[in-house]
Amino acid sequence: MSAGPKARLGADLRMAWLLTRGSDRREWWRIGLTAGGAALATGIGLAIVALNSLDGYYSVSFGDGLLDSASDRRNVSVVMALLLVPVLGFLGQCARIGAVHRDRRLAALRLAGAGAWQVRRIAALESGPACLAGSLTATAPGVPLLLHLWARPTALAWAGFALVAVAVPVLGAAVSVLSLRHVVASPLGWVRRVRPVWGPGRALRAVSALLGVAGLLLGLSTFTGGPVRLALGPPALFVVVLLVGAATVSLAGTAARRLGGVLASRAQSPALLIAAERLREDPWAAARTHAAVLLVTVVGAGFVGVRQVLLETLHTMRREGTLSTDLGYYTTGIDLTAAAILVALALTLTGLAVGTVESLATRRRGLAAQVAAGVPQRVLARALLLETALPLAPAVAVAGVGGTAIGFWYASLASHRSGTVLPYAALLVPLAVYAACLLAAATSLPLLRRSVRPAELRHS
Amino acid sequence: MNTKGDITVPLLEGRGLVKAYGPTEALRGASVRLDAGEILAVTGTSGSGKSTLLHCLAGIAGPDEGSVSYGGERLDRLPEKRLSELRRTEFGVVFQFGQLIPELTAVDNVALPLLLAGLTRADAHTRAGEWLERFGVRGQAGLRPGEMSGGQAQRTALARALITGPKIVFADEPTGALDSLASEQVMTALVHTARESGTAVLLITHDAQVAAYADREVRMADGAVVPVGVTA
Amino acid sequence: MSIRHILLGLLAGGPSHGYDLKRRHDERFPEARPLAYGQVYTTLQRLVRDGLAEVEGTDSDGGPERTRYRSTEAGARELAEWAGQIAPPAPFVTNEIFAKVVVSILSGGDPDTYLRAQRAAHMARMRELTAVKTAKGADLATVLSADYALNHLDADLRWMTTTAARLTTLTAEVDSA
Repeated sequence: MSAGPKARLGADLRMAWLLTRGSDRREWWRIGLTAGGAALATGIGLAIVALNSLDGYYSVSFGDGLLDSASDRRNVSVVMALLLVPVLGFLGQCARIGAVHRDRRLAALRLAGAGAWQVRRIAALESGPACLAGSLTATAPGVPLLLHLWARPTALAWAGFALVAVAVPVLGAAVSVLSLRHVVASPLGWVRRVRPVWGPGRALRAVSALLGVAGLLLGLSTFTGGPVRLALGPPALFVVVLLVGAATVSLAGTAARRLGGVLASRAQSPALLIAAERLREDPWAAARTHAAVLLVTVVGAGFVGVRQVLLETLHTMRREGTLSTDLGYYTTGIDLTAAAILVALALTLTGLAVGTVESLATRRRGLAAQVAAGVPQRVLARALLLETALPLAPAVAVAGVGGTAIGFWYASLASHRSGTVLPYAALLVPLAVYAACLLAAATSLPLLRRSVRPAELRHS
Repeated sequence: MNTKGDITVPLLEGRGLVKAYGPTEALRGASVRLDAGEILAVTGTSGSGKSTLLHCLAGIAGPDEGSVSYGGERLDRLPEKRLSELRRTEFGVVFQFGQLIPELTAVDNVALPLLLAGLTRADAHTRAGEWLERFGVRGQAGLRPGEMSGGQAQRTALARALITGPKIVFADEPTGALDSLASEQVMTALVHTARESGTAVLLITHDAQVAAYADREVRMADGAVVPVGVTA
Repeated sequence: MSIRHILLGLLAGGPSHGYDLKRRHDERFPEARPLAYGQVYTTLQRLVRDGLAEVEGTDSDGGPERTRYRSTEAGARELAEWAGQIAPPAPFVTNEIFAKVVVSILSGGDPDTYLRAQRAAHMARMRELTAVKTAKGADLATVLSADYALNHLDADLRWMTTTAARLTTLTAEVDSA
């Protein structure tokens, strides 16, 4: 009772360590991936800090002059900040690995008499160190790199570095505490299966409405600006992208449920029946995982379209001799954006694969029982792939069309300079993303084969 | 029973079965036989190897040593594809829980083996409805396993195991999670249907009252079948 | 088990003669030991002696003469009192199986084999009772009385299983005493 806060923290830390040490391989996967995501988030944070601690015009030794002016640096850091969105999404996905087991474990702690705050602290201490490890991994090479590139960094830059290195693990711990609110509320945990009823709730609708208004205002105001200015840092573009993305999230969920319902009542093949019923049962699980895929598709298709038109415009301008800056200045910017989008795509696909694997892992006893009862493995494998393929097909198509529309819109704005370039390349993006998603989902198939071994029947 | 003179040919026979999971030796030379139409209870404390014996006999797991013969065929030498086919045509399997697909309704779960066999959904549903009726769960046809009581879910699982008209039903603690009344309903349904259709049942249980539904009992201890004792 | 009170209970429904009472008893308690006629008649005579029942008359429908009995008011009171009394929960543990195990240890016998044989006999009886209760058309009284016996046999069985697992310790204890 009279134990000081230091002693209590020590006890909680010990408990967190014991729980982590005694956990299975999956927990180490979660820790590894979380650390990776945290490292990425820290790296991006450090880059943003470094860019923003410069003031005024500098001649930066790399980046073809893209980082020389303050406004360009700000634009680049906006792109990097946007990259934090998929990174955070990825971290959220990592937190779901083994979530059922962790919930049970912490619920057991509650039943054993741990207080609500104690459980929160233990949970935070379980995930905080993983984020800290990631943040240190990114900061350690970040500091010498900064010293190498910048002879005498300002005190502001150092302070920013320290802030990012500390903020990432703290935020990571806070998020894990937030995600445990159900367990903390009920010591009995969420072991019982409850059919999820939530869809895109009021929050999402409110955000969509706000974004819509903001997009409209910005859209009106940007008609006064030129196309090149639009391409490099227009908030309008991002708002439009977010809006299309939000719409696709809600569409993905609703479409998945409808599609599940329609297919479930007509399905003749067992694999299709299982996949359709799983979609109808929990369409939002898929929608949440697929939201990031759709956002990347919109951004990717939009970017590919804009890039095509922009490059065409720039080449035309250079031929006409109206291009004031070095072409490399623009292409570096474009390449940087492309790299950012590819990183986002990679994160998203990893998230998708993690989600599929996690869904398999939580169901493995049931799957083993079904195979034991004679359901062929290939039926389950087909159902698993269909579960990803069915809802993504219409959603990715719509997202692709949305992204391509951005490209066409940009092309129409720029047509007076580039002639009539049609950003047809954007149409390839949804196809590529779709194929990549199926491949990501297919990475879980070896786990399916392992999951249905009779040895799994021995665990209950 | 298949009798040739006074030698009874067993429907299913496991001889000298050995099976280890890592360092745990679940079976150490267990032998057991099951005659056609016979209801056999395998009893024993938890950890005595009962479930592993069922896995080996049903072709769910291959034994490390020993043989399993089913109707003269060496089960332990069949490829997984054929075993999987056997399990959904000639065998029925019921576990304590988990064999029903949680996302499918009761009628779809029961219809699944027929769908896998290539029947149309409508035909499969008609037959599944009849089987649900037999087990007294017709009213729950549209419910998912999570929405039913434990007893209803197990009767649905029995309907699914029996719909293909199997030769043998393998039941691993089918009443393990049920109260005694629900347990009685499930066992009565199983025994009645098995006797009517001449289906043999291999019943794994630690509960003597459940084992009493069987015609015969074998006991397991430490991975082997031990003598039951002479009835006075 | 009080046969007096069971007969009084059967008489509470209306006057009846000995043969009829025996028949109704065996019907009502299907898995109980059937009553012997002699026992029924001596018990009825004692009930009359104690003023709990009285002779109502005799019938002879062409056959042998049969005495009809009915319950008295004192009989009804006695019955109500008995039915409300709790049955003493196992006041003395008389366990023949345990006695045999201990005696077997004392005399250098083989308690393990005995327990196994006893277990097999118990299981055989349980199978019989289960067959009775699952037979098509078994009425609820049959099912309930079979269940009662099954639960008791099951309790014996569980006790035998744990005892068999602890025979070594028990042998050491019995031998050292």
